[in-house]
Amino acid sequence: MSATPSSTLLTMSGITKRFPGVIALAGVSLTLNPGEVLALMGENGAGKSTLMKVLGGAYLPDEGEIFIEEKPVVLADVREAKRLGIALIHQELMLARNLDIAANIFLGNEGGGMMNVLRRGEMNAKAASLLDRVGLHLPPTTPVSTLSAGQMQMVEIAKALSMNARIIIMDEPTSSLTAGESEQLFKIIRQLRSEQIGIIYISHRLEEVLNLADRITVLRDGRYVGELARADATHEKIVSMMVGRELSNQYFPLKHEKPLGEPLLVVKDLLVPGAPATASFTAHRGEILGFAGLVGSGRTELMETVFGVTPALAGTMTLEGKRYAPASPRDAIDSGVYLAPEDRKRHGLVLPMSVAENTSLPNVATYSRFGILDRAKERKVADAEVARLRTKTPNILQKVVNLSGGNQQKVVLGKWLAMSPKILILDEPTRGIDVGAKAEIYRHMAALADQGITILMVSSEMEEVIGMSDRVVVMHERRIKGVLLRESLTQQRIATLMTGRTEGNEAA
Amino acid sequence: MRRELGMFVALVVMCVVLWISNPDFLGQSNTLNTLRQISMLGIFSIGVGFVIITGGIDLSIGSVIGLTGVIIAKLSSPALGGLGYSLWIGIPVALAIALLIGLAQGLLITRLKLQPFIVTLGGMLLIRGISQTVVQGGTISFGDSPFLSLANDGLIHVNGDPLIPYPLIIFLLVIAVGTYVLHFTVFGRYVYAIGGNRDAAEYSGIDVKKVETLTYVISAGLGGVAGVCYASYIGQMSQQVGIAYELYAIAAAVLGGCSLRGGEGTVLGMVVGSAMMRVIDNGINMFQVRYEDATGIPRIWRLNPNWTFIIIGAVILQAVILDQVVHIVQAARRTRRAGASTTGTPPASTGPPPAELPVTPTAKAG
Repeated sequence: MSATPSSTLLTMSGITKRFPGVIALAGVSLTLNPGEVLALMGENGAGKSTLMKVLGGAYLPDEGEIFIEEKPVVLADVREAKRLGIALIHQELMLARNLDIAANIFLGNEGGGMMNVLRRGEMNAKAASLLDRVGLHLPPTTPVSTLSAGQMQMVEIAKALSMNARIIIMDEPTSSLTAGESEQLFKIIRQLRSEQIGIIYISHRLEEVLNLADRITVLRDGRYVGELARADATHEKIVSMMVGRELSNQYFPLKHEKPLGEPLLVVKDLLVPGAPATASFTAHRGEILGFAGLVGSGRTELMETVFGVTPALAGTMTLEGKRYAPASPRDAIDSGVYLAPEDRKRHGLVLPMSVAENTSLPNVATYSRFGILDRAKERKVADAEVARLRTKTPNILQKVVNLSGGNQQKVVLGKWLAMSPKILILDEPTRGIDVGAKAEIYRHMAALADQGITILMVSSEMEEVIGMSDRVVVMHERRIKGVLLRESLTQQRIATLMTGRTEGNEAA
Repeated sequence: MRRELGMFVALVVMCVVLWISNPDFLGQSNTLNTLRQISMLGIFSIGVGFVIITGGIDLSIGSVIGLTGVIIAKLSSPALGGLGYSLWIGIPVALAIALLIGLAQGLLITRLKLQPFIVTLGGMLLIRGISQTVVQGGTISFGDSPFLSLANDGLIHVNGDPLIPYPLIIFLLVIAVGTYVLHFTVFGRYVYAIGGNRDAAEYSGIDVKKVETLTYVISAGLGGVAGVCYASYIGQMSQQVGIAYELYAIAAAVLGGCSLRGGEGTVLGMVVGSAMMRVIDNGINMFQVRYEDATGIPRIWRLNPNWTFIIIGAVILQAVILDQVVHIVQAARRTRRAGASTTGTPPASTGPPPAELPVTPTAKAG
C-alpha cells in the first residue's frame, strides 16, 4: 500500500501515559496513512487499549504529541476526538439495545440542542443510505435488540461513517462474529480503505491480521517494539515481537503417545434443548477431547447440558459406567464434572472476591465446621493451587478483579483442581489470554490429562484444537458432524467438517 | 406498547365491572373525585417515570410533595401558624425549593457517583424531617384561603360541582409536555439511551450527568406541582401528607410498562398505570354485590377495606408475573423457531437426512 501517501493521516509521537504505580505507555509512536489498515498488536497489557483511549479522547496523555494531517491537535475529550473524525468501535459494542438502528447511529449526534425535536424522517433516510454503504439491508427502524453480533458491528461502523470519520479504530471486532459475519466485515473494511479512510485494527487473531493489514505495529509492555510491512510479516515474526522470544517449540507441550484410557463419559443420543438432532460421543480417561466448530455451532450448549445448566430433553449419559443425569450444575459438581465457562468474568469468577474465596466457592461446605468457615484451611488450599499453577498474584487475598486474564483463568482452574475433578470442561480456555500465559495453560492441561483427568475443550482456535486434542469432535449448526483422531487431524479436515460439508467431499 | 395496551384493556374492564356492580362508580361526584385523584398521582408519576427510564429511582418524591404543601401553608396560610403572605410568594417559593431538592439529589448522584437509592432515601427522611419541624408536629390549616379552590374547583359547573377539575387540566398539560419531551426531543432520546446502555450513551458523547441530573429535577419539580394540588385538596398540612407516595408512583410506572432496569416506559403507560392504581383504590370502596339472605332480606356485600393493600399488592405482582411469563413464552417460541429453521434449511448437496447423526469411520475407530 504505497500508493502515493499524500500526507500522513495520523501521527502519534512519544505518547506517555502514567497511572498510579504503572507506566501504561512509555513514549509510543505510531503513524497511519489514508487508505491504510494498520494492525496494532500486542499481548494483553501491552498498552493497545490505553493508546486507543488516548486517541479516542478518553485519556489525556502525560507526554507526547498527536498530529492529524500534520496539524497538532489536543484530544481533550470524546467529543473533540469525534469532531476531528476519530471513531472508536469498542470490543463490547456500545449500542443501546432498547433503541432502533437509526437512533443508535445518530446517538449523541442528533443535531441541535437537547430541547430540539428529533428529526426522525431525516435520520431514517440518512441511516438507510449509511446501512446501504455497510451492506446491512434492514430498515433503520429495526430494534437493535433483534440484531446479531455481526449486524450490530455494522451499525457501529455506520455510526462511525455518519460522523464522517477519517480514522476508525476497531478493537477485536471479530471476537464475537461468525466466520460469515467476519468475511462481511473484512469486505467492508477493504471498501472503507478504498475510500481513503484510515483504519486501526486491533486483534489477537494472527490469520486475520496477516490477511487484512497493510502494516503491523507491535507494542509490548507499553513500549513500541517495531513495525512490519505486510510482505515481511509471518506468524513467527509477529509472535516473537509480541512476546520477545521465540515460542514455536514450547508453545504446545509435547504429547507422549499413549493409548486411550477406558471410556469415562459416554453420551448417547443426547437431545440438547434447541438442537435439531441428538448428539453422541465418548470421552476416555485422561483424554483431551477437543470440540471444534464455528461460533453458534452448539458446542457451548452441549457442554452446558453435560454440566447440568440446561438438562437434556432425551438421551442418556453414563459416568464411570453409572447413570449420569445432572439436573443442575450442583449435580454435575457432585459427580466430579466441572466447567470453566467461556465468559469467565461473568460465569466463572466472583470478581470482587479474593483468590482464596473464589477457590473455595464451589465447595465452601467442606471448608466449614458447624457452619463456621475455616479460613485457615481455605487459605492453605488456595495457596497450594496458586503454587501448583504458578498464578501471579501478590497473595491469595488479592481480589480477582485485579488479576490479568491469564491469571484469572488459573484461579478458575485452581478452584476445580482443589476438588479433584474427573472431567474438566474448558470452554475457550485461552480466550483473551496473552501468548505467554497461553503456553502455560496448555502445559497445565497436558499435565492434568496425564494425571487421568478428562478434559473436554471447546475452542475456536484451530491451532489450539490441533495442538492440544487427542481427538476432536467437530460440530456444525448444532449437530456433531464427525470425530477425528489425533493422527488424522489436519486443519483442512476439521475446516471441512466445521463448514458443514461431509468428509470425502473436500472442495478446497 | 404491549404492556400499555394490556393495562388499558384491563383498566376498561375493571371500570365496566365496577360500574355494573355499583352505578354510583360513574356518578358525577365519584367520577370527579377519582379523576382528581388520578390526576394528582399521574402528575408526579410521570416525573418519577423519567428517572426510572434512565435506570434510576426517586424515593424522595412523597416527602417533596409534603414539604411543598407545608411551605405554602407556612408562608401563605391566613390561619393560625401561617405567615399570611400572598400565594404568589408561597407557591413559587415552594416550587423553587422542590426544584432545588431535585438538583441537589441529581448532582450528588451524578457528580459524586452515589447510588440513587441511597441518596433519595436520605432525601426522603431528611425532607420529611424538615416538614415535621416546620409544622412542629402539628397541622397548619389553610382556613378559607382561595387556595382551596385550586384542587376542589374546576371548569363547567353542573349541579354546583365542576365537571373538569383544575388538577385534571394540569395533568393534561403535564401529559402533553411530558410526551413531547420524552418522545419527540433529543433530550428524551438521551433518557432512553442512558437507561438502555449508559456506556454507549457516554461514548456517544452525550452529557450523561447533565441529562440524568435533569431527570431528578423534573421528578422533584412535578412532585412540587403535585404537592401544590394535594395541599389545596386537603386544606391543611401536617407532616403526614405524601407518606409512601413514592411507592405509588413507582407502582404506577411499573404497571404502565416501565422497567426498573431502565430503558423502557412511555408517558401514556404511566398515565394508564396511575389510573389503574386509583381505580383499584376507589373500586375497593365502590365494589358491591347485592343479594338476599336466607330470610329474604336484601343485603349488600362489600370488600373489606382492610384488604386494600393486599389487593393492590396482588395486582402489581400479577402484572409483572404476567409480563414475565409472556416474555418467557415468547423467548421459548423464538428458540423453537430458530431450531426449526435450522432443521428446515435444505441439506447440503450430499447432505444426510435431517435427524441422522453422521459419524465418520474414524469416529468408530476411536
